[in-house]
Order: sequence, then C-alpha cells, then structure tokens
Amino acid sequence: MTGSGARILVIEDEPGIIRALKTNLSAHGFQVEPVDTGGAGLDAYKRRRPDLILLDLGLPDIDGKEIVRAVRGDGATPIIILSVRGAEREKVEALDLGADDYLTKPFGVDELLARIRVALRHTAAPDAGSEPVFKTGDLEIDVAQRVVRVAGMEVHLSPTEYELLRAFASQPDKLITDSMLLRRVWGPEYGDEAHYLHVYVARLRKKIEPDPQAPRYIITEPGVGYRFVTGRG
Amino acid sequence: MNRSIVSERWFGYLCAIALTALVTGAVALIRVVADVGNASMLYLLAVMASAVLFGRGPAILASVAAFLAFNFFFVEPNYTLSVTSNDEVVALFLLLIAGIITGQLTAQLRQRADEARAREREAVVLYDVVRLMADTELERALTAVAERIRVELELSAVVIAFGKESPIRVQADTGDGEAIALAREAMGSAEMVLGGGQAPTATQRGQPGRWIRVVPPTARAIARLRNDRVRSVPVNLRGQPVGSIILVPKPGAHKIGPADDRLLSAIGHQLGVALERLSLQREATEAEVLRKTDELRKALLNAVSHDLRTPLSSIMASAGSLRQQDVSWTEDQRGEFAEAIENEAQRLNRLVGNLLDLSRIEAGSIRPEKSWYDLGSLINEVAGRLHAATAGHKLIIDVPDGLPPVLFDYVEIDQVVSNLIENAVKYTPQGTEICVSARTAGDEVEVEVADSGPGIPEGAMPRLFDAFYRASDSGGAKGSGLGLAVAKGLVEAHGGRIRVANREGRGARFLFTLPLHATEFEPPAKTKETA
Repeated sequence: MTGSGARILVIEDEPGIIRALKTNLSAHGFQVEPVDTGGAGLDAYKRRRPDLILLDLGLPDIDGKEIVRAVRGDGATPIIILSVRGAEREKVEALDLGADDYLTKPFGVDELLARIRVALRHTAAPDAGSEPVFKTGDLEIDVAQRVVRVAGMEVHLSPTEYELLRAFASQPDKLITDSMLLRRVWGPEYGDEAHYLHVYVARLRKKIEPDPQAPRYIITEPGVGYRFVTGRG
Repeated sequence: MNRSIVSERWFGYLCAIALTALVTGAVALIRVVADVGNASMLYLLAVMASAVLFGRGPAILASVAAFLAFNFFFVEPNYTLSVTSNDEVVALFLLLIAGIITGQLTAQLRQRADEARAREREAVVLYDVVRLMADTELERALTAVAERIRVELELSAVVIAFGKESPIRVQADTGDGEAIALAREAMGSAEMVLGGGQAPTATQRGQPGRWIRVVPPTARAIARLRNDRVRSVPVNLRGQPVGSIILVPKPGAHKIGPADDRLLSAIGHQLGVALERLSLQREATEAEVLRKTDELRKALLNAVSHDLRTPLSSIMASAGSLRQQDVSWTEDQRGEFAEAIENEAQRLNRLVGNLLDLSRIEAGSIRPEKSWYDLGSLINEVAGRLHAATAGHKLIIDVPDGLPPVLFDYVEIDQVVSNLIENAVKYTPQGTEICVSARTAGDEVEVEVADSGPGIPEGAMPRLFDAFYRASDSGGAKGSGLGLAVAKGLVEAHGGRIRVANREGRGARFLFTLPLHATEFEPPAKTKETA
C-alpha cells in the first residue's frame, strides 16, 4: 500500500530515527519533512499544513505537549506521538490533550505504517461508525434498532455496555484513552475513575468476544486505554 | 517538699506515743476486770506496730514510752516512777529490752520488704525499658521509654535527648507541653554540666543525676522554676556522656528518693547499652549496603559486558552479511538475517527495560499507578504478545471466569507475568508444558507460572530473586539474571509477595500474590441497569 503522497511532518531530534523514518516512509509513497526542534516544527506546521505529524515527546527546546496543544488549538491534523518506555504519564497527558495515537520506541515499521493509515483514514472520514449498521467480523451493531448481534445471535447489553460499545465503534482501530471513554460514556465528571471502565470492558468482552480472555475486538493498550480493532486498516 | 518528709517522720513518733497510750488504756481496763500479772507484754504489740508502720526510731520511742508508762501507772507505788519490788524492776527492764529488740527485728523486716519491693519495681521498669527499646524506630522507642518513666515517677514531663556526642542524634519527649519546653531549656545547661565544664570520671558512670539550677530565658519559665527543679540523668556510651534524661516533676509532688535515683541510673545505663547496640547495628548495615552496592556494580558490569554484547554481536554479524557485495543471498537468507536483527534488537530492548525497572526498584521510586483490571485479560494478552517466544513450549492458560477485578498497575504486572513466562521458557526444555493459572486465595489473588523443567536446586532457592543471580547449573548463561529480581520488586511495590517452589515430580512453580480489596467492587452504571 502506498501513502498516496500524504505529507508527514516529523518532529524528532534523533538523526538515526529521522533517517530510518525518512527512508521507510518515502519508500511507501509519503512525502516526509523532518525538523529537529519543536520551534521549527511549529513553524513548518503553520507554513506547510502537513497531513499528519509524527512528534517526539522528548524534544530539546519545547515540551512536546505544548506542540500538541498549539496544533489542536488550530485544527485537527492527526498527531502520532513517539515516546520512550517509562514516560507513560507524559504520553497519556499528550493523548488527552488531543494527540491521536502513540508509538513506543523502539517500534517496528509495520506498526508505524498501520498507525499512520488509521490516523489518515480518520481525517478522511471523521464520522466513521455512524452508518446505520456497523459490522466487523461476527459482530454487528444495528444503531437504528439498538441491537447487537454476535454471529447472528442477538446479545443483550445493558445501557452502559451498549454506550461503551458505541463509543468504541465510533472510532474503529483508533486509540481511545481511558478518560476519553469515561467522559463519553459516564459523563465529564468521571474522567479519573478508570476502574469503572476496566470492569465494564471486562463485562462487555464476556458478551461480545468469541474468547473474552483473548480478546480480538477490544484490545488493551497498557496504561493508556483501548483500541477497538476491526482489521479494516 | 522537705517539709512533708519532716512532718511524716514526726507523725511516726506521735503515732508511736499514741499507740503506747492506747495500750496503757487497754491494760487499765483489763486490770479493772481481772488481776493479770504480765499485762506488760501487751506493750510489745505497740512496739511491733510502730516498727512495722514507722520504722526503727518510733519503735525505740515506743519501747521507752511503754517502760515509763507501765512503771508510772501500774507498778507500786502507782503514779510515781519509783519501784519498790525487785521483781518489778526485773520485769520493767525485761519489757524495755524486749521492746527494743522486737522493734529492731521488726524494723529490719520492714526494711528488707521495702528493698525487695524497690528491687522488684526496678526489675519491672528495666524489663519494660528493654522491651520498649526493641522497637526498630528509635524515636518511637525513646518516647515510649520516656512515657514509662513519667508514669512510674509521676512526673510532669520527661525528655530523652542524645546530642552531638552521640552516634545517633535523636530526641524524644512526653508529658505536659510547657514542662517539655522547660526541660528543653534545661538541656543546654545539662549538657554543659555533663560534657563541658569537667571531664566525667569513671565514678560518675551510672551515678544518679545531680540537681541543676536552670537559668531559663523566659519569664514564664522563671516563674515555674520557683517551684520546680529540673533533674538530669546522664546516659553514657563507652564511658562517655552522650545524652541525658531530663525530668520535670509535678509541682508539689513527692520527692525523688534514693530508690528512684537508683532506678533512673539503671535506666540511663540501659539506654546507653541499647544505643551502643543500635549504633553497632547501623555500622554493620552500612557496611552491608556498601558491600551489596559493590556486588551489584560488579554484576551490572558483568551483565552489560556479556548480555548486551551477545545480541549486539548477532546484529552486527547479520547486518554485515546483508551488506556483503560478493555473496548473492537468496530472498529467504536475507529474510533470516533481517529476522535475526529484529529478534536480537527486541532482546536488547527487554534487557534495557529490565535494567531500567531494576534501577527504579533499587532507588525505591516505583509508584504503581493502580486501577481495577481483569487479571485474566492481562495474562492472555501477555501470552499473545509472547507467542513467538513460547512457540517451542506448550503454553496452557487456566484462569477461572469468576475472578474479581484486581487493583494494579497494568504495565508493571504485565512485566511481572512476562518475566515469569520468559523465565520458564529459558530454563525448561523445548516441548514441555508451561501452565499459567490464577485463583483467589483468601483476601488475595494468586498467579502461578508452573513449568515442567528440571526444577530449582535447593541451594539456589534463597538467592533466586537476587539481581544478576543465575542458578549455577541452569544450563549456561541464558538470562541476564534480571527478570526475577524485577518481578519481585514490582510485586512487592504492589503489596504482594512472590515465591518459588518445586513441584512434586518435575518442574518449578513461581507464585505471586496481589491483595484483593475487602469491599466487593461495584462500579456505578451510567443509567439504570437492566442486564
């Protein structure tokens, strides 16, 4: 699959990673513009209006979160964060500020390309999952009827479980943080009560997953949130 | 205070006379009823009572008074001190001598009983002090000792202070706040008296403290000092004064007697002994920490040189092969090289991750970000991720459906389970079973990774969770010796325990627990639930 010429701004200060990203992404048909400071990154963003931003959180000049804030104050350009292990809190903060996804260094090329494709698809069709009947694998959500079927059999979900599943289905393959899900399903005052969420996810898995202990739809992103995998990417 | 002691003594003598008078009355009454020859013996009762109640002096007084009273009232001629019959003279002197001897003996008994009581109290208090000093937290221990002294001697405040001469500087106090302040003010002077002016001599060791007049800077303290005197008892360590027990009596309380002095110097001595033991213990701990740090550093160098170099060598070899111009590799061979690079890089990444975790554990900076998760999902996800690594083994997952949600940091417990599974893969032969199971056990949940390998040699068990430790006959240095140490650190940071045991027959089982929280967790539904 090629990148159909999408322009990617890479804000990263490690020359080795820049070189690897440039080689790989160019080979897949993306146009890559690398910059090595946050300041240059913001300049390039305003000047060039890229289709996607790859942002390293550990920049020498500006806190990466500030760049997320600045870009989100301006538009919906997808942002994928590159972070290191052990900086989980920072990563979650950047995601809650509006970054779309993340990759933990070191990461593989396949993983990177998959994330970029999902992020670009969401900008192209932001209201994915709003079709009247959402289908993936054996799972079918009939939004108009409020009915969920697994392999053709109707499954009874409680209102909370249904809302949760709808929240997942509205953003297929995209990373959704705990606090986003909580706000969406339980309301804005529940942003910090992630434990409600994990317990309901476990219940939902029991009802819709073929093997709840080895889930294929709702995948945990450790310490960050969940990803509703449809395999459409 | 002295006045009360003086009046107490007078009271004893007065009572001795009163007792004699009482017996005189009784003898007179008996004489009215019948003529009793040796009624004088009744006086011995008064003498004995005086000896038991008030001691030697009042007993002698009672003897003399009895001698005079009997002579005056009952010996012919009555109402004079003259005696006509020789028999009567002998009887009178016998009364006097018997009285004095009885009084002496009884008083001695009383004194011994008093001494025994004092020794018993001393033993009980000292035993309490020793017991209280066993507390590992020194300040808490000293506070408890101070409180014990305060209660025992009915004081208003007690401060125990070890100053700059002591190997461990610490202060503890108990009692009335104002009195504590007074004691603290006195402390400066106490230190001067004890350590400054003159060098303490050997005879001062264990001696009762001296009275010291404190010159306090505040007017309020001066006002208090008009009535109070602060007393200081030295605490010695190896013959040198290192601290003191400062006592502030209650206004108008009874005097601290010689028995109390003995008790206090015994406590001071005991504190010195306890302090010495503690300081030796600390020195030993510091030496142990240094030794361990050194060992850890050596092991780290070892690990870095060996465990980092091995994957690096494969990576360099594979990359070099790919770049060779004079050989034409087939597509499969190129793929193999690339795969080797990828696998070895992943191995390096895991190693660096474990090193990072270990340094955080050693620094005590692990702060789990706990939330409620389904433990079964975690175990399955880990198994899924390690699919390639476990391909050579039969991996069995056995987690019951009804497992309650558990509170933990997902990333960290993920690491624990991964390390245990990887460990089992490394040290057991291909094709054998690895079984990961979980169950609730009382107020905790227990996760078990059981393998069917050779098991752990008994000798290796105690050190198995030490960083960089590898069981010597584990079949070559496959691991870095980090995984189990990290697992242990992370489990303990969650308030759980980790242990290892050999299975009956064949294989080893690694078990760790996580606390379950007493109240059943029930999240609120968004709206009314019907399911």
